[in-house]
Amino acid sequence: MTQASGLIRKLSTPKLLAVVGIIAVISGGIVGVSVGYAIHYTAPTTRVFYLFNNSLPFNSTNFGGIPHDIFSPDRITVDKGDTVIIHYINIEDEPEPHTFTMYSPYNIDYFVPQGQNVTITFKANWAGVFAYYCTIHPPTMTGYLVVLG
Amino acid sequence: MNERLRWLAVGLLLVVGVIDLYYGNSFAGFYENLWYVMGGVYIFAAIVIAANIEPRFSQLTVFAYTLFLWSVWATVAVETGTGLDVVAYADKAVEVVLAVNLALLFRSSRVYAVV
Repeated sequence: MTQASGLIRKLSTPKLLAVVGIIAVISGGIVGVSVGYAIHYTAPTTRVFYLFNNSLPFNSTNFGGIPHDIFSPDRITVDKGDTVIIHYINIEDEPEPHTFTMYSPYNIDYFVPQGQNVTITFKANWAGVFAYYCTIHPPTMTGYLVVLG
Repeated sequence: MNERLRWLAVGLLLVVGVIDLYYGNSFAGFYENLWYVMGGVYIFAAIVIAANIEPRFSQLTVFAYTLFLWSVWATVAVETGTGLDVVAYADKAVEVVLAVNLALLFRSSRVYAVV
């Protein structure tokens, strides 16, 4: 201990800073490799989804105007911190638009005419279950974003 | 000069500490939550440097801690691709300035001590 403190006193300031710096960087690298190995499977990542409109097999006029449109898929599950990319494609065969709308805290709103598509990108920074809607076809056209974390 | 460097170090430590706490809160996952701890340690270090407790020991230790965390971040980023975003880049840029500042501060403090 006395020898070590004596050695530290003997070293010039630049040499002492260099020695301490090199030890810190090497030990940081070793810890970083271990942490990188440990988090390898849980790190936030980019997740890509394809989302379409679909329809239930009934005629909406027979059910008081309740729309038969639905989202496919109606459940998107990601981890908190993931970057989410949704390619939303309106595959209607008649001129019927849809929207992809999420309220607070994500606040996303896209209008998609027939045959068009949009790419929606956001970071899943809030954990929980959040509904996404087509505001033109409530209540059937509703899906859920599940953010685990 | 020494005082100016010391208070600049305190300011930079607080900035990095707050960014780390924000990062730990906004970006989930085991690794990101570690940033909470890092931020807490930085803020504690800011208090120690501000109070000028055992300056030759504390300044060298915080200098080593800064380089240690920079190295951890770089290694994890290369290995897994995590921590490569604007907030992390800003944090690490401030850490570089902090490391240089602490090196100058330590050199200055050691000269004063010798004198």
